[in-house]
This record gives sequence, structure tokens and C-alpha cells, in this order.
Amino acid sequence: MNDGPGVLWQPDEVPPETEPVLSRPPTVVSALPSVCPACGGEVGIDGYCTQCGTKVKSQRDHDEQAPASWVGGVCDIGVVHARNEDALAIAATDQPRRAVIVVCDGVTTSDCSDVASLAAVRATTAFLWQSEPQGMGTPESKAAAMRSTVTTAIATANEAVVGATGPESVTGAAATLALAVVTPESIVHANIGDSRVYWLPDEGEAVQWSTDHSMAQMEMDAGISRAEAEASPYAHTITKWLGRDATDLEPALGEHRIDAAGWLLVCSDGLWNYASDPADLAEVFTEAAEGKNGSPLAIATALVDWATDQGGHDNITAACARIEPPEGAVPASPAVVAGAAADDEPTPLDAEDVTMPMMPPAGVTSPLDPTDG
Amino acid sequence: MALFTSTVYQNEFLARGSTDVNAIVTITCAEAGVAGQTGAGDVGEIIMVDTSASMGRINMDAAKRAAMVAVDTIVDGTWFSIVAGSHQAYLAYPRVSHGAGMVQMNSEHRTKAKQAITLFRADGGTAMGSWLLLARKLFASIPSLVGKHAILLTDGENHNEAPEQLDASIRACIGQFQVDCRGIGVDWQVGEIRKIAQALLGTVDVIPGPAELPQVFHDLIARSMGRGVPDAQLRVWTPQDAQILFVRQVSPEVEDLSRRGTLAAPLTQAYPTGAWGDESRDYHIGIRLPAKAIGTEQLAARVQLAVNTDILTQGLIKARWSADPVLTARISPEVAHYTGQTELASAIQEGLAAKAMGDEPTSTVKLGRAVQLAAETGNTEATDRLRKVVDIVDAVTGTVRLKKNIDKADEMALDTASTRTTRIRG
Repeated sequence: MNDGPGVLWQPDEVPPETEPVLSRPPTVVSALPSVCPACGGEVGIDGYCTQCGTKVKSQRDHDEQAPASWVGGVCDIGVVHARNEDALAIAATDQPRRAVIVVCDGVTTSDCSDVASLAAVRATTAFLWQSEPQGMGTPESKAAAMRSTVTTAIATANEAVVGATGPESVTGAAATLALAVVTPESIVHANIGDSRVYWLPDEGEAVQWSTDHSMAQMEMDAGISRAEAEASPYAHTITKWLGRDATDLEPALGEHRIDAAGWLLVCSDGLWNYASDPADLAEVFTEAAEGKNGSPLAIATALVDWATDQGGHDNITAACARIEPPEGAVPASPAVVAGAAADDEPTPLDAEDVTMPMMPPAGVTSPLDPTDG
Repeated sequence: MALFTSTVYQNEFLARGSTDVNAIVTITCAEAGVAGQTGAGDVGEIIMVDTSASMGRINMDAAKRAAMVAVDTIVDGTWFSIVAGSHQAYLAYPRVSHGAGMVQMNSEHRTKAKQAITLFRADGGTAMGSWLLLARKLFASIPSLVGKHAILLTDGENHNEAPEQLDASIRACIGQFQVDCRGIGVDWQVGEIRKIAQALLGTVDVIPGPAELPQVFHDLIARSMGRGVPDAQLRVWTPQDAQILFVRQVSPEVEDLSRRGTLAAPLTQAYPTGAWGDESRDYHIGIRLPAKAIGTEQLAARVQLAVNTDILTQGLIKARWSADPVLTARISPEVAHYTGQTELASAIQEGLAAKAMGDEPTSTVKLGRAVQLAAETGNTEATDRLRKVVDIVDAVTGTVRLKKNIDKADEMALDTASTRTTRIRG
């Protein structure tokens, strides 16, 4: 929950792998608030308000995080699903403006994906928060260090997901992951599967920074339009995931120097399903941000409410961070120059250059055909 | 201690702007134990027998035999008394004129009570209100009673009291004791007796012939003795901005409880349900809520069964607003079934009332609708009873003709059984 500006998020300990894990432990349940958020009445032991009857969600079903004034997110169960298999962890400080945002979306057809996704976001955020890759100071070595750090972060997330189910589980836990590491100068993002990172600049075109590992993305790569590819019944079949049977943990990643103001958005498909195209999502975002005085938590709440209004067919996670260029930053055109920032001179290293190649088409689906839709 | 469980049947999904939630709540009691022997407190039984002149020798003899069977069926230790009713109410046993008007059953009292019953003579008129008021006073004379049940047998109309007098007597007895009413012959008024039974949480039925009377009395007392939970309340909590549209018992019989609620706790109405044995009862509850945003889930009602202040079971009626028409268009089969059964009961009663007024067109339409509903809801017992009153041309469309010569007893059987429902589940 909101710890106020400058307070550090504290990760929970991930249980060691040696601990016996049931194939289907109970869903993660956190204590219910004792006061109804709708009317202030007392919450009954059945989870409903004793005054107005509002269903009071557990923190696992509705989590709000805003560890710093400029970053906040909401992770919500949505309308249709019985469990929240999305998970969100944010670590941030106001001075310096630093943040780690991690979103995981558990694969519905696998065991304990709600447990797995939560363990993964916590472990990954904790790891990334304590490691700030610098390399040897050169852009190349910094980019290499960043890759190495993100690769270790993904491995950490994978260990957490694998640890969520025991060997006797038929369908071991699986999850997608999208992360963003924000420093005063740059943003690093990475993803496995189809959770996304968007850049929504105040001026200029919105862009989807992440690259999905999904059948839809494969079709788009083959030249099919986004609308057509995402309408396919296999659109949500992911081609990479975290988990016991993961075949490829190479993330799609990128780094961008901050030289323009805008919003960074990390989200699960529970949100982007209803506005996938960056331009459409930017429009939704603008509407959600109206009258929120730039509060990231208020905007994230409005985004989740909007997705709920669209039907809330999946769990919904939206985390946003207000990005301002550091003082003295050289405005560039286009608004954001993608690349690893050097100490003094900008390096024209295109984001595409550091995006890892997609997994080859062979073996795109596991025998379990996991989808997170 | 009895074990209560509850199950809720409903479609909790509401379309945008919808406000009304319907649910069937089944409450089941197990291990109720024997009345008066569960530690919950003492129980009392009063047997009220019509001894008016119209009973005649045959019915009077049958009633005496039945009353003796009832005395035999009452478990030792149970407080009891026998009332002989005509235009006045007489305490037949124990033979006391003041003080405690009931005694605890044992072999001596059983023998003496039966001797007292042999003295019954068919004489005088009928004033059932006075019988009820006497029963009320007798029960009140034993302060330790927690369960109070009576049987009332009559054969005729309430000639010696104005309807208002009877109504006033009934009102005075509400919440004081339960009474199962039985009518013998065809000269009594179903409406009059139903009024008593409904208000006093009992049943009403017609006894076709005097030979069946002893068995009926045995069964009534045996069932009462099997009700180890002397008194319980159905409690319905609703949110502060909600309105209870109705609370109906729909199985085993239709009984509208809506107007019987009293405030038991904040936002909580309590409805009397009387004593419980090992049995299941179904309740149909309708709640109106202000419409909420799509995606909102809230509680529409907490439905509880309470004994004294203990909540023994709770079912939750929910509301979830959804934009998905597949979810919101579904009607719970249980709700649909009992909605039909409730309408069936009304159609039969209204059809017979119209027939009694000589309004054959209305009667034909109502009873036709009843035939249609009985067929739709699979209530074959109702169909069989209706068949004795109407010729069914087409059950699907509800096309019927009133029979010319109807046995009055068949018509009364149809009327008294109109509230009896079938269950949708096994």
C-alpha cells in the first residue's frame, strides 16, 4: 500500500526451494482490511461490509502501490476470474528518482500461478533494486552490464516461479514478466511473454517498447496487421514464459535515455486487451489522467476501473511512472533517443539494437499450450 | 445440538442498471433430537377437539379415538392438556380450574386423560377463537415451556364468533404457539382454517373420512415430538441502502413471511419459523439494491438461521453487475421453479374463490393457468388434484373446462394442498 514518498518497499522472503511445496497450496490470501473502503463501515468475517455490503477485496485481489510520489500501480483481480494471478511489485525513491517496476501474469492453466507470479515480482524487484549496472563507464560495457543484470533478474524470477510448484505438479507454475528500471537518466525494460511496457510521451507518438512473445506478435512480424493478429484465437498463446518447462529465458529488452517528459506504463494484458495499439492506449491514458493532478496511483486506478468497465475478463495490472528529463538534458528529436546514455555524450544506439532476437518459430508452444488469456 | 446448513441458489449477475436480486436459500436441519429432551427447555402439546353438535356420533367417536392416539404418542415428560371446543372452550384434562393448566405426561396422566376423552359429547356450537385463547392461557401457565404446539380439529364453520373476533384471537396467539389445523367433512371453511394455520406457523389439511383421523393425529404429534429445535428465526441482513421485496417460504409449503419481520439487529429483519426437526425448508428472497457500476460485487443479503441469539447457519446472497449478457440473462432454475410454484398456489386459490363466487370465466382462466403451471413445474400431485375439478383440454396452453359435478371434498383437497410445493432437487 502507499507508504508515502521516499519509503522503501520491503520484499518478502521467497521460500527456499528445499521447502516442501504442495502441488496446490491455498491461494495467497492476505488479511482483509477491517474498514470498508466504500462507506467506512466494519468489514464482516465473510469479507463483506456489515453496513453497505461492499465486497472488500483482500490485498492479493486488489493491491495498490505507490512507494514514491511519481510512480504507482494497481493490481486487480478483475471481474471474471476467481483468482488474481497477476502480480505487481514497485520499489522507488523520490531522491534520486529511481524505480523498479515488475509485473507478472500467471498462466491460468498452470498450478499455483497466483503464488508464482507474486513470488516472482517480489524476488525480481528485490534483486533489481540492489543492483545498479554501471559497467566500466563506456556505453558498450554499460549495455553489457545491463544485459547481464536483466538476465540475472529473469533467472531470479524464473527460480521463484519454478519454486512455487512441487515436482509432483503436472502443470508447473508459469508466468509472463515485464520489468522497467528507471534511473534519473535512463529507462531499461525487459519482458518475457506478453506483459508490456509502453512509453507515452507528452508530445509525440506513443510507442510499445516491449515486444510480445506471442503468436500474435509472430503473425505481426510476418506482416499481418495488429488488429487481425490479435483477433486470432491463438493470439494469446505465448511463446516464452517463466516456469519449470520454460525453453527460452532470453528477454526482449531495451534501454532509453530520458530526454523528454511523459509516462512509462507497465501493464498486463488485462489492460492492453482493450487498447492494444499504443495510440489507442495513449488515448485511454489521457482520459484516465484527467483531473488526477498527475497522481500515478490515481491514474493507475482509473486505468484499472476502465478495463473493469470493458468487462474485466482478465486480471488487470497497470503501473505508471511520471518521467521528467533531468535538468540540463539535451532535448533530442525524436523526443526520446533510444540508447545507452554515456556520461557526457549521447550514444545513438538504437533500442532495436539491444532487443534480443525472438525465439525461432520452432517449438513455439509447449505441450501444455499455455495461454494467459 | 442440531446442525443447520444452508445453500444459496441464484444468478448473482445483474445487467447494467438492474436492481433486483432473487435467490432461493435452502436451510437444512439435522440431528434435531426429540422435543423437550435436548436441554433446550420443556415443550408442551395441546389437543383441541371440536365437540360441537355437528360432529355427530361417527365423527365424534373417530375424534375420541384420534385424541387417545395423540395422548399415546406424546412422549413422557412433555407438558400437555386436552381442550374440548364448542361455542365455549373447556379444559378436559387436567381437570383443574386454576393454576397450572398443563401436566407432564406419565402413565398415570395418560390413563386419566384417555378417561376424560371418553366423556366427550357432541353438543353446542363453534367458537374457535375461544379455543385458541384458552390454549394460549394454558401454555402461559407453564413458564418453563420453550416449545408450544397444538392440534386443532374442527368440522364446521365458526358460527358463534364474528370474523373480527376470530381475527383478534388469532392475533393474540401469534408468536405464542404453533398450531396444525385439520378439518373433517366438507362443512368447514378452508379460508377460515388456513388463516389460523398460516398465522400460527402450522399446516392445514382436509381429512377425507373419520377412519383416517387417528393416523393423522398420530403423525402430527410424532412430527411435533421430532422437532428438537423448539423455536428458530430466519434472519435477513440487507445493506443500508437496500429494500427487502419479499421473504417467502416456498418449500415444503408456500408461506409469505414478508410482513412478519421484526428488527432483530441493525439492518437485520427476523422472521418466525417455529420449531425444526430433521428437515429442509426453502426460502425465496427478493432484494432491491441501487444499481452499481459494471464490475461491482456486493452482498445483497446475509440469510441466517438463529436460535435465540445464536446464528447457526448463514448463506450469502450476492450481486455482481456485469456487461456480459450471457451471464446476466441466465435465470436460476431454482428461482424459476419456485416462482412458478408460488404462482400455482395463487392461481388455484383465486380460481376456487372465483368459482365459489359464481364467476366461472375467471375461475376457468385461473384454474387453466394452474394446470399449465403444474405441468411446467412438474407438480404431478397438483395436476392430479386439479383433474378432479377441471377437464384438461390442453395442459400446455392451460385450456380447461370446469367439471359439472365436483365432489366438494376434492375441491377442498385442492384448496388446502394448493400451497404444497414440489422440489426441483431430490
